[in-house]
Amino acid sequence: MVEILIVGAVSSAIYAMLAVGFTLIFGVARVLNLAHGSFYALGAYGAYFFTSTLKMPLALGALLSVALVAAFGIGVERVLIRPMRKSQLAVLMISLAVALVIEQALFLTFGSEYRNVPAFVDTKFRIGHVDIGGARLLALGVSVVLIGALWLFIQKTRVGSAILAISQDPVAAQYMGIPSDRIFAVVMGLSAALAAAAGILAGPFLTVQPTMWLLPIVKAFAIVVVGGLGSIPGSILAALMLGYAETIVGYTVSTSWTEIVSVLATLLMLVIRPAGIFGRRAAF
Amino acid sequence: MTLLRFETSTTARTSLALCLLTLTIMAPGGAQAQGKPIRIGVPTAMQLQVGRDTQDALKMAIDDINAKGGVLGRKLEMVVADETENPETGISAIKKLTADEKVDVLIGGYTSGVTLAQLPHISAAKTIYLNVGSASPATNAKVKTDYDNYKYIFRVGPLNAAHQARQMTGFISGFVKGDLGLSKVAIVGENAKWVQDLVPLLKKGATEAGADIRATEFFDAQTSDFSPLFSKVKESGAQYMVVILSHASSDIFAKQWYDSQFPLAYGGIDVKSMDGDFCDRIGSKSVGEMAANFAVRAPLTPKTIPFFDEFKKVTGRSPVYTAFGANDAAYIYAEAVKRAGSTDADKVIKELEKTSHVGIPGTIEFDENHDVKPGTPTYKGPALLFAQWREGCKREVVFPKELRTADFVYPSWIKK
Repeated sequence: MVEILIVGAVSSAIYAMLAVGFTLIFGVARVLNLAHGSFYALGAYGAYFFTSTLKMPLALGALLSVALVAAFGIGVERVLIRPMRKSQLAVLMISLAVALVIEQALFLTFGSEYRNVPAFVDTKFRIGHVDIGGARLLALGVSVVLIGALWLFIQKTRVGSAILAISQDPVAAQYMGIPSDRIFAVVMGLSAALAAAAGILAGPFLTVQPTMWLLPIVKAFAIVVVGGLGSIPGSILAALMLGYAETIVGYTVSTSWTEIVSVLATLLMLVIRPAGIFGRRAAF
Repeated sequence: MTLLRFETSTTARTSLALCLLTLTIMAPGGAQAQGKPIRIGVPTAMQLQVGRDTQDALKMAIDDINAKGGVLGRKLEMVVADETENPETGISAIKKLTADEKVDVLIGGYTSGVTLAQLPHISAAKTIYLNVGSASPATNAKVKTDYDNYKYIFRVGPLNAAHQARQMTGFISGFVKGDLGLSKVAIVGENAKWVQDLVPLLKKGATEAGADIRATEFFDAQTSDFSPLFSKVKESGAQYMVVILSHASSDIFAKQWYDSQFPLAYGGIDVKSMDGDFCDRIGSKSVGEMAANFAVRAPLTPKTIPFFDEFKKVTGRSPVYTAFGANDAAYIYAEAVKRAGSTDADKVIKELEKTSHVGIPGTIEFDENHDVKPGTPTYKGPALLFAQWREGCKREVVFPKELRTADFVYPSWIKK
């Protein structure tokens, strides 16, 4: 039981980091970014490259990786997404193309083998009678801190207020003099940085290989559909639900069945309540 | 004018002929290798080490054969097609090699699901296929029952899943139960065709050998979190975890096993753990794991150690099992063509069936399904060797006893 609580919390935390960024950029810029999973992959590969190839200390490599992925995210938004933002379908296609190009680039650069992202903490901790790796606990702790920081940033800063204003009414926000394009870039950077951080934190105990972007985007998609596209509290709640549902299925039924949970949740939610738990309107 | 053109043309032709003659004399093998080259098609997963090793080991054999004059005065050359781990891509690779490249023989393979999907296309192309990578017995099952259509299929390596199951049974009874004195065992395998073929045989054999199989768990090859699986194994009361992994993320499995300091040692068939750099690339977290290998750098035959050393010299890597199969397959095919006096598939097949080739992992002979025969105490065919990853990411052979280079050592956190 304790094990399910802890493992479920770690899964939920990683999912929440992925989904919050995914839903943020949709909520603010109405951009359904299929390259979001690629930011997660680039974060993990960046940490691998800086530590294994360039022999940098892990903390420096991780920070550098997050910064570069954030800059890359801003670049993608500025160069590829912004000119097409009026058409959601075009954005969907271009972001999918970005994801596929990144996958192939990783494939050619690093090969298809799994890569080892070093862990910040390599020791084992015992909680109750459960042994749990330090890397997992760190992922849990850091994601709570990062999501908390993001919430504070949105609630307490001028940029945050601008983000909220645009997400509530983009036209009115623009009339009030809020530079929407600059805010979109900030949000894309934040979203990419969060995904990259998730990749670095999960890298030591999960998959690091070129196709690793796909599963996170499926999960993020499922979470925001369940939680309500554009709603951060909805995403956090749905991440907890999905993380725990998968863990419970893994422990009580079989690990073979865990992957179907998210797909099933998405389907059910689209049929029963298309707007999701906290969504203001149907996403599609 | 016409005469001049004729003269120029004659001079050009004479020069060309001279050039060709010079090139032929300079070429390795000299004047013998003059005919149209014999083309070897290589369908393999090019991005994986199994695929890279297939190509490199094959190239070593081809260079050697060509340097000695080729086969029937013809040189060997290879054409590679990426079959990935996807059946559809695998079929395209076979079509490309047989229809477009018109190869004489196919040497390759890795994923059983892909090989099974390719079989009808190989059969339709009437091209000999020497499998060096996939292990499902199903790939060769039709050779006997539908000989005319499937006689083209041979497996040079690895041992098929049924033979592997028997040898794994020997590992459980001889090592886990015999040497370690542990009888409660959990079997953990990925959901793949060859594992589904292997596990029932392994369970039956292990139970008959007196082992108590406490849990049998399958998981999806995409699984990235093994915590629930480990928890179930621990709760089952098992004392040792036997794994059957090939396409799954063995790297994550080992990392999570180490990070959680899982209280059971584990070992078995773990294809990615056969890679020479497996331990290094996961930060030494496989230290303590026992992984079956089809060959290690030991004097199994007079060819084993020289091949290991030459391969490492040429590629800078330790070879995996597809390297042994591919290298042996090239020589086996070349010998059969020589004996047949032609590359005609039917004639070569008859000669391949008579093969008794001292290869890298042992003597290669084929059974009635054209499947490589496993080694026995009286026959030096290929057999599974169990090596343990040790500190410094070195490997020591622990089982079978007659080839043991060091005793088993428990991972540091397991007290015995």
